[in-house]
Amino acid sequence: MDLVTVNGLSKRYGGIVALSEATFSARAGEVHALLGENGAGKSTFIQILSGAVQHDGGSILVDGQDYRPANPDAAQVRGIAAVFQELSLIPDLSVEQNIWFRHEPRTLLRTVNRAEMRRKTLALLEKYNFPVLRPDQELRRLTLAERQIVEIAKGLAKDPRILILDEATSALPAREAEWLLKLTRQLAAEGRLVIFISHRMAEVRAIADRLTIFRNGSTIAVHEANAVSDNEIVTQMIGRHLDRLYPERIATATDRIALSVKNFSSGSRLSGVDFALREGEVLGVGGLQGHGQRELFQALFGASKASGTIELWGKPVSIANPRQALIGKDGIALVPEDRRGQGLLLTKSVRENLTLSVIRRFTENGLLSRQKEAALVKEMVDFLRIKAGTPEQLAGTLSGGNQQKVIFGKMLLTQARVLLLYDPTRGVDVGTKGEIFQLMRDLAAKGYAILFHSSDMPELVHVADRVLVMRNGGVAATLEGDRISEAGILRAAMLESEAA
Amino acid sequence: MSAFLARNRLIVLAYAGMVVLLLVTALFSPGFLSVSNMRSTVVLAAFVGIVALGQTFVIIGGGIDLSVPWVLNSAAIVMALLCGGQDLPLVWVMPLLLAGGAFIGLINGVGVAQFGVPPIIMTLATNVILQGLILVLTGGSPTPSAPALIQYLSVGRIGAFPVIALIWLALTLVATLLLSKAAFGRHLYALGTSATVAEFSGVPTARTTILTYVISGLTAAFAGMLLTGYSGQAYLGMGDAYLFTSIAAVAIGGASILGGSGHYLGTVAGAMVLTILTGLLPALNLSSGALLIVYGAVILLTVSIGSETFAGLGGKMRRKES
Ligand SMILES: Nc1ncnc2c1ncn2[C@@H]1O[C@H](COP(=O)(O)OP(=O)(O)OP(=O)(O)O)[C@@H](O)[C@H]1O
Ligand SMILES: [Mg+2]
Repeated sequence: MDLVTVNGLSKRYGGIVALSEATFSARAGEVHALLGENGAGKSTFIQILSGAVQHDGGSILVDGQDYRPANPDAAQVRGIAAVFQELSLIPDLSVEQNIWFRHEPRTLLRTVNRAEMRRKTLALLEKYNFPVLRPDQELRRLTLAERQIVEIAKGLAKDPRILILDEATSALPAREAEWLLKLTRQLAAEGRLVIFISHRMAEVRAIADRLTIFRNGSTIAVHEANAVSDNEIVTQMIGRHLDRLYPERIATATDRIALSVKNFSSGSRLSGVDFALREGEVLGVGGLQGHGQRELFQALFGASKASGTIELWGKPVSIANPRQALIGKDGIALVPEDRRGQGLLLTKSVRENLTLSVIRRFTENGLLSRQKEAALVKEMVDFLRIKAGTPEQLAGTLSGGNQQKVIFGKMLLTQARVLLLYDPTRGVDVGTKGEIFQLMRDLAAKGYAILFHSSDMPELVHVADRVLVMRNGGVAATLEGDRISEAGILRAAMLESEAA
Repeated sequence: MSAFLARNRLIVLAYAGMVVLLLVTALFSPGFLSVSNMRSTVVLAAFVGIVALGQTFVIIGGGIDLSVPWVLNSAAIVMALLCGGQDLPLVWVMPLLLAGGAFIGLINGVGVAQFGVPPIIMTLATNVILQGLILVLTGGSPTPSAPALIQYLSVGRIGAFPVIALIWLALTLVATLLLSKAAFGRHLYALGTSATVAEFSGVPTARTTILTYVISGLTAAFAGMLLTGYSGQAYLGMGDAYLFTSIAAVAIGGASILGGSGHYLGTVAGAMVLTILTGLLPALNLSSGALLIVYGAVILLTVSIGSETFAGLGGKMRRKES
């Protein structure tokens, strides 16, 4: 018998239809993938299942019994826990306090039993073979990937029968993503149901038993994983045929150096980095997570202190803050790692977010021209196909992938021609991913210079002209041509002798 | 139109509250709606409104200015001392004191934006220091009376309109332009919503923060001079009431005290609400102690009705987790 059966599920937000008559069913012991393009309604669906949001119409049966959780606690009582796409952790608490938040083990006096909490945390981390985490570390000190892992631990701490993973791998580097996939199989083998949402086809292929495809809030198809091809899946997801994900790599780099970096250091994580990024080039930055990639991007953008020399288009510059980085046509723009913490004003509109960096451009005699602003906003929304009711919709209510598009659009509106893209396709659907890669190549052909980091290694391999492999805060190797491969990157990231 | 209402729900609410309060007050004290009484209500509200102008900018930017009482008080006393009851010195005294107010704001702003001192501590400290300076300066002795010109600005009339009401109107226009029509306004809302995102977006966060405190210093000093004209004299402690009322006016006007939202148009309604309230309470024939208690309680209630949290109970806020 099916563990979960959903019929005619509907949810509207004002005039926006998030789900319309969606159906779904899944069994215990399977990994069930939920696929669909950005804004298809996947997150809304799992928010309803996990009690975070209430549906307008339709029915849900769990174990054949009616199920309509009023809040996440009610969902938990029925054995359902979710790892949300946008993390729900509290920065001021420690790792273990977050994991057990509101369900802390108590002493007889009802105070928190710290020893017991520590013991349970260690047992949990051990049982599922978690990557190293210090239970007492303050959450705000963790990277996005580490936070994602804590979020997963928090979900597992509830020992759920149904675990929902909403793009949990999107913030994880290769090794940790690999671990999560193994863990997912292990959970299914224990007889649990795992509902797995991801925009990475390879992952879905590796672990899903069955898959359900959403489009525009409705269920389009359900497949046994081994009876359907990638092509069919993608076509059903985006409603058209996708020829190829990665654009043809035509070399457009010129001899002109756009960004030259020498002996560049920042904090304890980045030391003595040298490289040159040429006009028309897409330069990949890879390596194992935590070897200085994040620090490199932030320091180049002026968001953290650094030493060394930077030349932009042949001129030495000093960049003390992001404002100086963004100035004019010779500037540098960044798509930051943390889209909610660094990229978007969640409580402001799509329009205000898109134009924030360039708002001065719409002023005449000191006064804003709303027409000019609206025209450019419309152009960008159409160009990137941002799925929003109107440009006045609050950025925080967009689907994850559409939030990422707004950040991308905000960067494109600046006139900077040196672009720092830190994981620009995180949470973006396949169709749009292909478009973003094509856009990157088009920009390069127009003379932009792009520094590109991705936590998804195949993207580096297929899109970048060259790849810098970072290790211990420095550049361990620069791969070109045939030497760019996943194996090549990994080897360079791990072997001391590969220094180039 | 409905989109406008939805986006500015709290401001509309503040004006609705103002009208209701007016009617209730008229019920208890007939004659409250008379022209002359309305006129004096607007004059009193103007003082609150002008101090709260700077406070609005600071609060939208995510800060708070606790130094307004003694910036106001210092400007009042120094003006009275320097002018000695004469009009002529105002030519240089007024610009000087406005610059002085702006300078205090600059110190506040630099302390907060460049040295990372929490706004509460920073502005509280300048407030106390100014208080001390003024006590040393005056030795507690009374000051000369206010120059006639200043009295004209605060109690005079042009036709049917109080001069100060017209000044307030002009300032409202300027504030509205700054918030709604200038790049500065966009930067300010972004800063108050998330300082990190603003910084990553190239917003000049430090400059924007400093500017808000400078504006607050300016309006507090200006209000101090006008208030001296209204009372005919400057005295110690005349600014004290404005700490609470300036913040309350901003909050009643629908701004989040955490920053990132609100508008001066809301604050204008807030200043009116507070002033009408002070007119209503005496009509209830309460002792002065009981009056303060009711005053405080009513403000608390008004602010919480307007605040997001309470609105959330009614409208069931949809905040998206994912
Ligand atoms: N609180 C809200 N207010 C308004 N619209 C909303 C809200 N929450 C979701 N939506 C809309 O519902 C639709 C479905 O969003 P949802 O987050 O479920 O998409 P998704 O399939 O998870 O997409 P992604 O792959 O980008 O994460 C989107 O168009 C989104 O803008
Ligand atoms: Mg989603």
